[in-house]
Amino acid sequence: MGPFELNTTISNLRNLRESDLSAYDAVYLGNIYCRIYEDNFLERLDDLEEGIALVKGQGLRAYVTSYAAPRNDVLPKVQKALETAAAAGADAVEVHNLGVLRMVHEQFPGMPAHIGGFANVYTDAGAEVLKEYGAVRFTPNYEISLDEVRAITSGVGMPAELVVHGKMPLGVSDYCFLLEYEKNWPEKCPTLCQKNLFLKQGDWAMRSVGKGVLSGKDVCMLEHLPALIAAGHNVFRIEAAYETPAYRLNIAQIYRAALEQAAAGGDGTVDESTWNTIREHTAVGLCNGFYFGRTGAEYVGKRMQSVVAC
Amino acid sequence: MALPKRCAKLLAPAGNLEAAKQAFQAGADAVYVGLRGWSRGGARGEFDREQLRLCIELAHALGKKVQLAANIIPKPQERQQLLQELAELAGWGLHAVILNDVGFLREVRRKLPGLAITASIGCGALNTSDALFYQDLGATAVVLPGYVEPQEIAAVKAKASIQIEVMLHMVQEFIQLGKCWMPSYLNFAAAERGDQPQRLSGSVKRGGVGSCFRICQQPWSLLKDGVEADRRLFPSRQISPVAELGAFLDAGVDVIKIQGRSLPAEMVGAIIGTYRSAADAWKCGQKADQKADQKTNGNRAALPVMWTVQGR
Repeated sequence: MGPFELNTTISNLRNLRESDLSAYDAVYLGNIYCRIYEDNFLERLDDLEEGIALVKGQGLRAYVTSYAAPRNDVLPKVQKALETAAAAGADAVEVHNLGVLRMVHEQFPGMPAHIGGFANVYTDAGAEVLKEYGAVRFTPNYEISLDEVRAITSGVGMPAELVVHGKMPLGVSDYCFLLEYEKNWPEKCPTLCQKNLFLKQGDWAMRSVGKGVLSGKDVCMLEHLPALIAAGHNVFRIEAAYETPAYRLNIAQIYRAALEQAAAGGDGTVDESTWNTIREHTAVGLCNGFYFGRTGAEYVGKRMQSVVAC
Repeated sequence: MALPKRCAKLLAPAGNLEAAKQAFQAGADAVYVGLRGWSRGGARGEFDREQLRLCIELAHALGKKVQLAANIIPKPQERQQLLQELAELAGWGLHAVILNDVGFLREVRRKLPGLAITASIGCGALNTSDALFYQDLGATAVVLPGYVEPQEIAAVKAKASIQIEVMLHMVQEFIQLGKCWMPSYLNFAAAERGDQPQRLSGSVKRGGVGSCFRICQQPWSLLKDGVEADRRLFPSRQISPVAELGAFLDAGVDVIKIQGRSLPAEMVGAIIGTYRSAADAWKCGQKADQKADQKTNGNRAALPVMWTVQGR
């Protein structure tokens, strides 16, 4: 790995083929929320095999993700996806469910495991347990601050993967919020959840993706990248599973350039055109998540953020 | 005459001593309570140390047990304090502690080997492999949500020796318990509580009492392409499948757990009484009262098909 890794998540082969990945170092393949997400890599294993080859063929690392809340009926498919990942040379698997972590550990002992945000790593003690199950990096639960992340990484010696841009996962469900609208809307499953669907209450906004809820605002840590680099972090994610190919490309290009500048000792200043591009790809506004111990929807930085109507 | 079948234990919530008394009188085998500062739950749902001591004494006098919900995720600097508390409570005769963090769970297992440990419903266990994970970690029991089917429980029991608790009486909320941080995304603040550990209001897993301000039960506008398409709450429903209790017991459930440390004592007693009658009927090979669900204000009518992706 170079000085840092910039990665993203792509749910299916169509999204992968239409995405320019030149600004990324790695891609997670699969949709963690729903089995019937359109052509989900985790259900279409031929596509998964092809996707891994496509990603690796571009010189990137290919990771395979897994469902965040699998019940017993899903485990056989999870098993098959893990087998496909191992056979096709995936560089790691991402697990959000600890039962799936156990499956990886027992049956694919050489496969590195990346712990996903829904696995609820809040503390060093928790991370330590998962490290013993083959975890080589973790996404901290989205609720914890950078100070708390640092306490884990320094205590456990396992790197954290940090969401630096994109809509933060806020919850996962066993059920779909949107299916009841099929009868009245022209959109049907499996394309329902790909619409821009926001839940609003006053200034509060969240995005519904059917079986998941995401933040309405995009996490944006652009101003803070030098501090993240200085703190020793080097794995960064653009959450873009439900975004357009243009979002996936434009945001990554911004962050790649900014990270290279930060890694070279830059102060993180970016020009106004960069912020214009960020704004073009923001439906509601920007936030920092919980990184500074504040309410997740707040923004901390030199730039004042106004809410954009969605 | 056929011998009565081995029956699951009935575990009742108790937000106060009166609720514990009524739960025991109604037939609960054990109660679970929160200790002030260390548990999730509503403002009325926690005991102070003296109340907890009295509850344990009461339980022991009746040949019953007390579990402690210590299901906040303690910060690293709080773990030693909580461990000391648990050690003292174990000395008082506390039977089990309910925990929400895998790291702390393992630490308690190693340092307090005589204390039973339950992996909380907030751990998000849903499948057989989850149960085995917590079994490996040293948990005595793991809680599954009440919407799992009896056949799923049977499948877990076929592979795992850990005790399976099912929270059969619960509010099935849209987001899986333990996997929700919508409240803290919207409103999150540190709250000093005197000599109590600092809690984070809005964080369900770290905020403790009253942290979840139920934003899912407030009306939201659903906007499609910027236009309001609906105004609604998040889906949720009370489930309490008393009439189907036999199926769960046949599947091998070890503990039937009732949600609700903030319930009034009388309601706890009534719900426990209904489950006790149903369980006793099952033990003797009798069919459950098909209208029993009405007494617990819940039913297990199939979720509206519109919500579920299974079978698609």
